[in-house]
Amino acid sequence: MEENLKIEILFPEFCNLYGDISNMKYLKKCLPKAKFIETTFDKEPTFIKENVNFIYLGPMTENMQEKVIEKLKPYKTRIEELIKQNVIFLITGNALEIFGNYIENEDGSKVEALKIFDIFAKRDMLHRHNSIFIGKWGNIELVGFKSQFTFAYGDNENNYFANVEKGIGINKESKLEGIYKNNFIGTYLIGPILILNPMFTKSLIEKMGIKDMKIAFEEDLSAAYEQRLIEFKKL
Amino acid sequence: MKKNIRFYFAFYLAKISVIALKIIKRDATQFPGKLAITLCPNFLEQIGKPKTIIAVTGTNGKTTVCNMIEDCLRENGYDFVDNQLGSNTNSGIASTFIKAAKLSGKPKKDLAVFEIDERSSIRVYPYVKPTYLICTNLFRDSLMRNAHTEFISNMLTTNIPEETKLILNGDDLIVSNLAPANDRVYFGIDRINTDTDSCENIARDIIVCPKCNSKLEYDFVRYNHIGRAHCINCDFKSPEINYEVTEINLENKIMKVKHNNEEEQYDLINNNIINIYNMLATITILKELGLTKEQINPVLRKQKIVDTRYSKYEVKEKEVITQLAKGMNPIACSRAFDYLRKESGNKAVFILLDDLHEAANGSENIAWHYDTDFEFLKDDSIKQILTAGARYLDTKVRLQMADIPLDKVVCQRNEMSLVDELNLDGIDKVFILHDLYSISLKNELKEQVIRKIEEE
Repeated sequence: MEENLKIEILFPEFCNLYGDISNMKYLKKCLPKAKFIETTFDKEPTFIKENVNFIYLGPMTENMQEKVIEKLKPYKTRIEELIKQNVIFLITGNALEIFGNYIENEDGSKVEALKIFDIFAKRDMLHRHNSIFIGKWGNIELVGFKSQFTFAYGDNENNYFANVEKGIGINKESKLEGIYKNNFIGTYLIGPILILNPMFTKSLIEKMGIKDMKIAFEEDLSAAYEQRLIEFKKL
Repeated sequence: MKKNIRFYFAFYLAKISVIALKIIKRDATQFPGKLAITLCPNFLEQIGKPKTIIAVTGTNGKTTVCNMIEDCLRENGYDFVDNQLGSNTNSGIASTFIKAAKLSGKPKKDLAVFEIDERSSIRVYPYVKPTYLICTNLFRDSLMRNAHTEFISNMLTTNIPEETKLILNGDDLIVSNLAPANDRVYFGIDRINTDTDSCENIARDIIVCPKCNSKLEYDFVRYNHIGRAHCINCDFKSPEINYEVTEINLENKIMKVKHNNEEEQYDLINNNIINIYNMLATITILKELGLTKEQINPVLRKQKIVDTRYSKYEVKEKEVITQLAKGMNPIACSRAFDYLRKESGNKAVFILLDDLHEAANGSENIAWHYDTDFEFLKDDSIKQILTAGARYLDTKVRLQMADIPLDKVVCQRNEMSLVDELNLDGIDKVFILHDLYSISLKNELKEQVIRKIEEE
């Protein structure tokens, strides 16, 4: 039942770059009766003590990444437990790196991360990577954008999020994008990915137990998706 | 710095390229500078520079502030070089130096005014050390290029030379904390009646104290992170303003600027707060240079905002207003949306914000739509919204996300037939918001709208 759903947005006052917070605004349009909990940085996450159905963390500045790692470190075991329990995590942009082993700066210094997944990230603040993306998640063709200073390295062969058809995976040499384990989805894709990918959004909502739902502005989202897919394939 | 053979080789080749480009009438280019830097990587360090360099940087307002400073200096008899015709990157600045240098490599003039792109600071400031650096504001800009404000402000703080005096927007808490060890003056606008206690914008990039991470309490919010604030936990607060607008009278188009306990009255160009900030930045640097109000105000009074940025045409008691709203720049677009919603009368609005280059060669990243306050267009005075271009389907979704009813909206691929859908019933003002690279499209639509009103 929609009204029983709890969706937790972590640190929306900071982790909101690149329009990504629109993913949660859109989910609210699709699930108006669900409870959305906006956990600010000065509060304890709700997921520590309560069961939630969906946890969202968006991209942030590099300085903020380090603060978020420190904030979440005490809850590492709980996060691992929630992943085992199939709670949906949607982690976008450089927020993904928080769940890896470490983030390496240009000077070789390292920021220890949560060490939940066996990947690490390398920063290169003088070179920003921008690209379009087409990739397959199950039988759904995803479209999206990447814009980042960092790439991730390590083995995601057994837990990747999407098989890349166009663009790059977790780094320029990889064709495997992000992390997907149980219902944890971590991806370098940025921006309104739920709005850009209506079938993906429907699938996530189904994972929360709501089947065959007509999502908000479905026809218009689908038309924009189809147009983008055609454009991307031509590039 | 002593010049080496490599420098002279690069310099003379670049000088020859300047002459060649002049002959083929392509001299508004950064090519000579690019050539010189390619041949001699520390060319900017070696080339002779004017004694006084005024640099202007910031997300929005750089070009306007540079133009105003240059007009005031020119009218008051100052002789200077500028990069108005070139680019605002290291190559553009090198091109300007090359054109303005004697054959010895020494500068012909003692004063320079440069617009400098924030992202180029790493390639400019190690070699070109401005006497004064004005920073108008720092906001979210093209995410593909500028990422976020922390990245840009760190880059500026790391690269601004220690001897540079900063002229900073004191109402922008990101700007006011740039290069904290540098000498500085602040400009700002005291609380005005349109200011609020809370922020209604999507993008707000300084929420906690940079010293202690506690929540900042805003004394007032003007827009986004512009306003005055203090930390609830430590002594961090908005700076004391040295040049402050204490009164704005829109009816009489005047403002009062207080400095050292003396108040002076200046004429306003128009009622847009962005332009008041641009004027104030200009007044601040000119006063720092020693110019008087009597030298500044007559020039500012004559300023006209260029047609490519804003134009107003009256036809049969209706106004057709064109306004630049830079695509991929969420704050510039949000300011344009905010301005038009607050204008009097009933309005129809054309939105042409697509990047035409991306439309022709790629597929624009529309993430910036969701940092932009399309919600401001949900206003009773806005009767119709017309949008067209490659991203029309995305814009249609974005408008619905802003809860704008579709019966007010026309979305289509073809820009040129958009005016056919314009409903002028009860409309007082027609706004055409356009991207920087859509000038000819804007002009065409403006003509079509005027014809439609005339034929009504």
